[in-house]
Amino acid sequence: MRRVFPSPEALRPRAPFSRWDLVVIPGVLVLMALLTLALRGATEPFGPTSPDLTVSLDPAHLPYYGLRTLLRMLVALLLSLLFTFVYATIAAKVPRTERVLIPILDFLQSLPILGFLTATTAIFLGMFRGDLFGLEAASIFAIFTSQVWNMTFSFYASLRTVPKELQEASAMLRLSPWQRFWKLEVPFALPNLVWNAMMSVSGGWFFVVASETINVVGRDQPQYLPGVGSYIALAIQRADTHAMIYAGVTLFLLVLLYDQLFFRPVVAWAEKFKFEGSESSDTAQSWVLTILQRARLSGRIARLPQPLWEWLWLRSARRDRPGEALEAYFRGDSRVAPPKLRVRAPLADLLFNLGVALGSLTLLGVLLGYLFGPGLGFEGGRTLKPNPNLNADLSPEVAKRFAALGIHPGADGTVWLSQVCAATGGGKGLGGDLKALLGELGVQAPADLASSCQGPLVPAGKVSWPEVPEVLKYGLFTALRVTFFVLLVTLIWLPIGVYVGLQPRLTQWAQPLAQFGAAFPANLLFPLFVVVISRLQLNPEIWVSPLMVLGGQWYILFNVIAGTVAIPNDLKEAARMYGLRGWKLWRRLILPAIFPAFVTGGITATGGSWNASIVAEVVQWGNTVLVATGLGAYIARWSTGEFNPHVGLGMLVMGLWVLAYNRLIWRRLYRLAEERYRLD
Amino acid sequence: MAQIITKTLLQAEDLSKAFTTPEGKPFTVLEGINLELREGEIVALLGRSGSGKSTLLRCLSGLLRPSAGQVRYRGQAVRGPMPGMALVFQSFALFPWLSVQQNVELGLEAMGIPAPERRRRALQAIDLIGLDGFEKAFPKELSGGMRQRVGFARALVTEPEVLFMDEPFSALDVLTAETLRSELLELWGSGRVPIQSILLVTHNIEEAVLLADRILVLSANPGRIRAEVAVTLPHPREREDPAFQELVEEVYRILTTRPTLERATPEPLTLGHRLPKAPVGALTGLLERVAEGPDYGKEDLPRLAEEMRLEVDDLFPLLDAAELLGLAVLQEGDVRLTPEGQRFAQADLEGRKRILARLLLQVPLVGHIHRVLHTRPTGRAPEERFLRELEDYMSTEDAEGVLATAIDWGRYAELFEYDYNAGVLYKNEETPSPTP
Repeated sequence: MRRVFPSPEALRPRAPFSRWDLVVIPGVLVLMALLTLALRGATEPFGPTSPDLTVSLDPAHLPYYGLRTLLRMLVALLLSLLFTFVYATIAAKVPRTERVLIPILDFLQSLPILGFLTATTAIFLGMFRGDLFGLEAASIFAIFTSQVWNMTFSFYASLRTVPKELQEASAMLRLSPWQRFWKLEVPFALPNLVWNAMMSVSGGWFFVVASETINVVGRDQPQYLPGVGSYIALAIQRADTHAMIYAGVTLFLLVLLYDQLFFRPVVAWAEKFKFEGSESSDTAQSWVLTILQRARLSGRIARLPQPLWEWLWLRSARRDRPGEALEAYFRGDSRVAPPKLRVRAPLADLLFNLGVALGSLTLLGVLLGYLFGPGLGFEGGRTLKPNPNLNADLSPEVAKRFAALGIHPGADGTVWLSQVCAATGGGKGLGGDLKALLGELGVQAPADLASSCQGPLVPAGKVSWPEVPEVLKYGLFTALRVTFFVLLVTLIWLPIGVYVGLQPRLTQWAQPLAQFGAAFPANLLFPLFVVVISRLQLNPEIWVSPLMVLGGQWYILFNVIAGTVAIPNDLKEAARMYGLRGWKLWRRLILPAIFPAFVTGGITATGGSWNASIVAEVVQWGNTVLVATGLGAYIARWSTGEFNPHVGLGMLVMGLWVLAYNRLIWRRLYRLAEERYRLD
Repeated sequence: MAQIITKTLLQAEDLSKAFTTPEGKPFTVLEGINLELREGEIVALLGRSGSGKSTLLRCLSGLLRPSAGQVRYRGQAVRGPMPGMALVFQSFALFPWLSVQQNVELGLEAMGIPAPERRRRALQAIDLIGLDGFEKAFPKELSGGMRQRVGFARALVTEPEVLFMDEPFSALDVLTAETLRSELLELWGSGRVPIQSILLVTHNIEEAVLLADRILVLSANPGRIRAEVAVTLPHPREREDPAFQELVEEVYRILTTRPTLERATPEPLTLGHRLPKAPVGALTGLLERVAEGPDYGKEDLPRLAEEMRLEVDDLFPLLDAAELLGLAVLQEGDVRLTPEGQRFAQADLEGRKRILARLLLQVPLVGHIHRVLHTRPTGRAPEERFLRELEDYMSTEDAEGVLATAIDWGRYAELFEYDYNAGVLYKNEETPSPTP
């Protein structure tokens, strides 16, 4: 039977707009105007002769600064998405590549994020010469690195676990790789990817504050990119309490806006891609999404790229060509690897492995050469002695005074021991002025200059071997701090989280609050600690440490809440029936049931703490600077605006520590959680 | 009867399929398969679980490449899914993020058909399959039966010549399955669809007899075509028809009769014998039912299957286990309890455990585990030890399944115990004692 009308829709009168458009149309216009404004600011000229970038503490500027910060976050997110699609797809689909790409990703993930800022500033400034965009790019890149690894892992994992029946269906329908990617793989990965992106962006706020103030080689002052982060940095520098409060309010509003206008709608939208047979009860809701879906304009905008898609679709279609057979899989296995070009080629395998081995050896050689200089820190069978930077704070004033005495500091203000030794004939002929300068606060000269100058020193800027165990020891200190404080916040938040999770009404309120707490950058609270610690004359080695977990603790809280909520009702009822109470109830039901969720939260919390250590082990409020001995402080001290062997060593050691920590502790707990305590 | 020359659509020549275990050992799933799919016929592939019927379907449809031999579609070698083929899945395999209409259009997109034409054909197919009004719905809003209709519409819209169906009705309830079956036959008979031939994989014997013109029965491990049953009854077929019931009986007979070759030399059980996946509880239930049945220890398989709502995949592992343990024998489509089986069915729980313990020690694998645990001073052994040994005979996955069955039986009979978390088998502290 032929239909008269193609569909009932043809009959319905079509109004071009609905009343929801009253909200959506102005919204779109405002969004476009704001974008133009922010983009204009980000592309101003900036060259060697431009004045230092700074921000004003006048709160009237804050909305504009907020806009610039938001734009950076957005660009970083888009770049992360692009990188994720390309990198994870290559790793999952091109034969052999995953053996290299995934370990690289694992290592990059464990490197400290702010280390990347130091490492890349010079590169970006060189790439965008004479344009402010170079600095912007460095800042964006730092935010990018705080989000991207997580997202890439998530997408890669999804690509490897596409359900077998859908793979078979798309093979049978003869979808082209391009069509399969957009119709099957991306939609399947989307809910996890969106959730991961949201978590990553929460962490990103912390680094936005730390990454807008950038040290540039050749300039005495750090450059303050217009943004809330810079505003906070300057307020801390000047110890301006009012400005800190304004900044706090602004950030509060920004995080709220970002959450409500951007992520809630996206999460709610991504719900429809969840791969479940039946509808689950607690679907995410977003008023913004509802408005957008009811307004007509947004529908039209969403349909704009349709012709392009259609064109790409038809171009990539297989038409009459046969489809691809799937790779062999085992019976009964519900998940299979995506189809790969699996050619049995032992020779190619061998060559590939050889190439990887050669490549890694070369890389190791280059790295060691970079860290230790020619001779790898040895000369004539002896280790070279350390050659520290005497101007440890890189103070431009001290640098000038050295210059006046004929010892020329580097562009970043470094004065090497070897330079002083050379100028004083091995540390013996000390002039009065120099002696006075070396004795000053902030100049870290060895007590016995003459003996330090004896024996061959490491070339200026390079690392000496005795420094390596030293840095490993710093790593141990930081690891102890991270462990202790993660345990401490667990002890605090676990009972609270369980209590909240058991009361549905409280959960409704507490869960978004905890998520918000995770997004709200903890660096804002650092000055409070500085004031308290210095007033009470507490030992900074201990009391600075809680700062590291300030941001991460929320992950533990909301994961524990989520875990508690997920305990099946029948288990709770059974426990009540059998009269389980008190410690028995905890040991038999609650702790095992929330264990997997807790492990997930703990991994995120520790990762965040390691990253935060660079900011948290050196804290400042006005002229008060508190330093705790640790790897973070080491990296922060050597972040001179240019990547140097010491920062390299610090990053490497932190990377290794985090990898070891995760392998030895978290991975085991995770496996335990997966195998024993899964509730399904 | 006049010989009608029909054209061959799809042809498998000496097809074999072997998979490789993670350890690199090959194991054969299908061996020496020769079959033809001719124009105008419905062919059903029937077999016990592990007979590789789904793998065979995937090889024929180009989803998997055979290890040896080849598949030809209209004379062309099949190297991947060919245009003109479509597959209906047991689990529907709908894309949950696409609406019904978008799901149906998907196959047309791959063919490079422009949007307006896609839309027209999709709506036509949706109409044909009785889904109008649901074009904009998402799969999760639909019931199982409606979802499978979408699966059919998606397959039909590409106007396939060969339609493959992989247990398409087994995930549906009885009534829905019946309706869909008759609608499918109606479509097939009406000539409104260009389908030339249907290949159906099923483990439901009645379904095979109801739909197919030919039934190919596969044997298991490795899968071979054991018999071919022609069904010449006219459609619509009635289940109550004696001829229909005779065919069902015949298929049961084929499935319960060992191939003549194997019967000639009764196969001694080895360590690598694939223990059927039969939970002790279900096995006990079956034996009780047979013992208490109207024929006192003898039962007609079709009736048993019908009454206990068991399909081939569920029923045969239980029967195999009963036969393996010497509790029952299968003959000519009937199951008959042995005296041991009678005793087992009448015994109390402790008695059953004792009988089973004695019988299980005759099963090489269980006996082996028992011996190992009793010779070791600690009385403990990791499960990996036994898995390694089993992997000499079968794939890792099958080995895990077989060991799980052995553990289940051994635990029930209190021959040994098992610590799941540690993955360790250990000697039972106390041997089963009579009830106080």
